[in-house]
Amino acid sequence: MIEMIKVGRTYDPDITALSDISFSVETGEMFFLIGRSGAGKTTLLKLICNMETPSNGLIEVAGYNINKLKGKDLAHLRQRIGVAYQDFKLLNDRTVAENIAISMEVSYKKPRAIKNRVRELLDQLQLVDKHDTLTGELSRGEQQRVALARAVANSPRLILVDEPTGNLDASTTKQVMELLTRSNKAGATIVIATHDESIYQQSNHRIMELSNGRISSLTRGGKA
Amino acid sequence: MNFWFAVLRQTGRNLRQTWTSQFMTFLTVSLSVLIFAFFYLIYTNMIGAADRLSDDLRLIVYLEDEPGVEMQKQLRRKITNFDDVEEIHFISKAEAYERFAKQLGNDSDVLADMPKDFLPASIEVVPLKSLRGYSQIKLFSEYLASLPGTEKVQYGQEWVERFYYFTRLLTIVVLLSGTLLILTATFMVAYTIRLTIMGRQAELELLKLVGATNSYIRTPFLIEGLLQGLMGSIIGLSALYGLFQWISSHFAGPGLLNLFHFNFFPPVVIASIILGSICLCSLGSYTSIRKFLRI
Ligand SMILES: Nc1ncnc2c1ncn2[C@@H]1O[C@H](COP(=O)(O)OP(=O)(O)OP(=O)(O)O)[C@@H](O)[C@H]1O
Ligand SMILES: [Mg+2]
Repeated sequence: MIEMIKVGRTYDPDITALSDISFSVETGEMFFLIGRSGAGKTTLLKLICNMETPSNGLIEVAGYNINKLKGKDLAHLRQRIGVAYQDFKLLNDRTVAENIAISMEVSYKKPRAIKNRVRELLDQLQLVDKHDTLTGELSRGEQQRVALARAVANSPRLILVDEPTGNLDASTTKQVMELLTRSNKAGATIVIATHDESIYQQSNHRIMELSNGRISSLTRGGKA
Repeated sequence: MNFWFAVLRQTGRNLRQTWTSQFMTFLTVSLSVLIFAFFYLIYTNMIGAADRLSDDLRLIVYLEDEPGVEMQKQLRRKITNFDDVEEIHFISKAEAYERFAKQLGNDSDVLADMPKDFLPASIEVVPLKSLRGYSQIKLFSEYLASLPGTEKVQYGQEWVERFYYFTRLLTIVVLLSGTLLILTATFMVAYTIRLTIMGRQAELELLKLVGATNSYIRTPFLIEGLLQGLMGSIIGLSALYGLFQWISSHFAGPGLLNLFHFNFFPPVVIASIILGSICLCSLGSYTSIRKFLRI
């Protein structure tokens, strides 16, 4: 699903966020990305969804060289990638339901289907009573879950999640992971960037550690 | 859910969010359509009146002497040498006398003492319909005046001249108000759409990230411009029609309006004005999209 070959990203003046990254993620895999703050996790996710372009190297997503895609093709690929951003990128003057609906509206889902899907997700994330609340009025943890709901709503093939449990207590974390696991079981490839050891240690998924923008280890979770 | 449903819903959101500036733009567009259409209406009616008047336009060439048959032939040839004409009538002194007597009617006895040949002979030239415009008529009359044996040429110069300058002034006013319409329609619409785009930068950014196609993002703004043009022109024209009806009913009877036989625009012109303002407003929104919507 994801193929990276010798990818690097530098920012002006000369900050090297990533360098010499080569790895691949299989279709249907759940993949963890860890590393200290500033290691380059967010940058890596942004490269995968083409929010940023690499300074060098090659990135393929679902068989497409994502940096060569333009216009409609890029839009259609993005519809199949759900991203929960570290800074959420919610529209604070819109309700929770409207925020989640956006990712389905752009691929012309029927209003009824959108409504049902929104209810279902809010139910799974214990946010049913926030349906009509403006997202600007939510707590960080609630906003985080709304961002996640928007990412998975359109049933994308690839889900990128940046720090999904940063503001959550143990039981809410468990619900979030259940939601992601369910999406994964349904066939979605999932990449999770996190500091939270509790969500990957007990799994048998692959874990890639970054430090200073390089791959420092690529292991499997403790359960294996 | 199809594309147009999504786009219309998005347009509705845009309109709701910036309705005050949308409303101001709508008013400005209607007002400029009203101003332009007002002058254009007067203009077309003037042109119509001018047309009808020039149908009756005749140049009368007064001759020094009664022309003989040979002379008539020659004059006819010389006139048609300059330009084809609709008709040429020779009016002998006797005919002129009879016509005059007829015009006087019951008072014709005042002519009793006059000799039958006191009026000059003349040629009545009916110019071609294509010979329009004051300067052409003037040139033609100068040419006629230069023919041998002619005394003077008459065609109601003063009246034609005034009418001509008035229509020319109106042309300028129409052009100016047309320019005003173009400026307000394009710039005001471009400006409001720019406001919308600026106010929703975050959302537009997000739409791109979740995979909205360019047309999904752009089309609502184009529709907004289109609606401004459509609504603005319809309201502007309706206002003018109301004004027209009011004037017609209040100033009916003998007067200027009846003289000119005032008409409202035919459907084709109405459609063109609406279409034109739609195009202008869409153009305005298009330029804003081009400039401020980086996709
Ligand atoms: N737009 C940018 N301009 C300049 N430097 C940047 C930019 N984005 C990221 N960086 C730098 O790149 C490095 C990696 O940042 P990144 O956000 O990927 O870290 P991270 O692993 O996600 O950290 P965290 O765990 O705190 O979220 C950092 O040193 C950061 O300062
Ligand atoms: Mg980060």
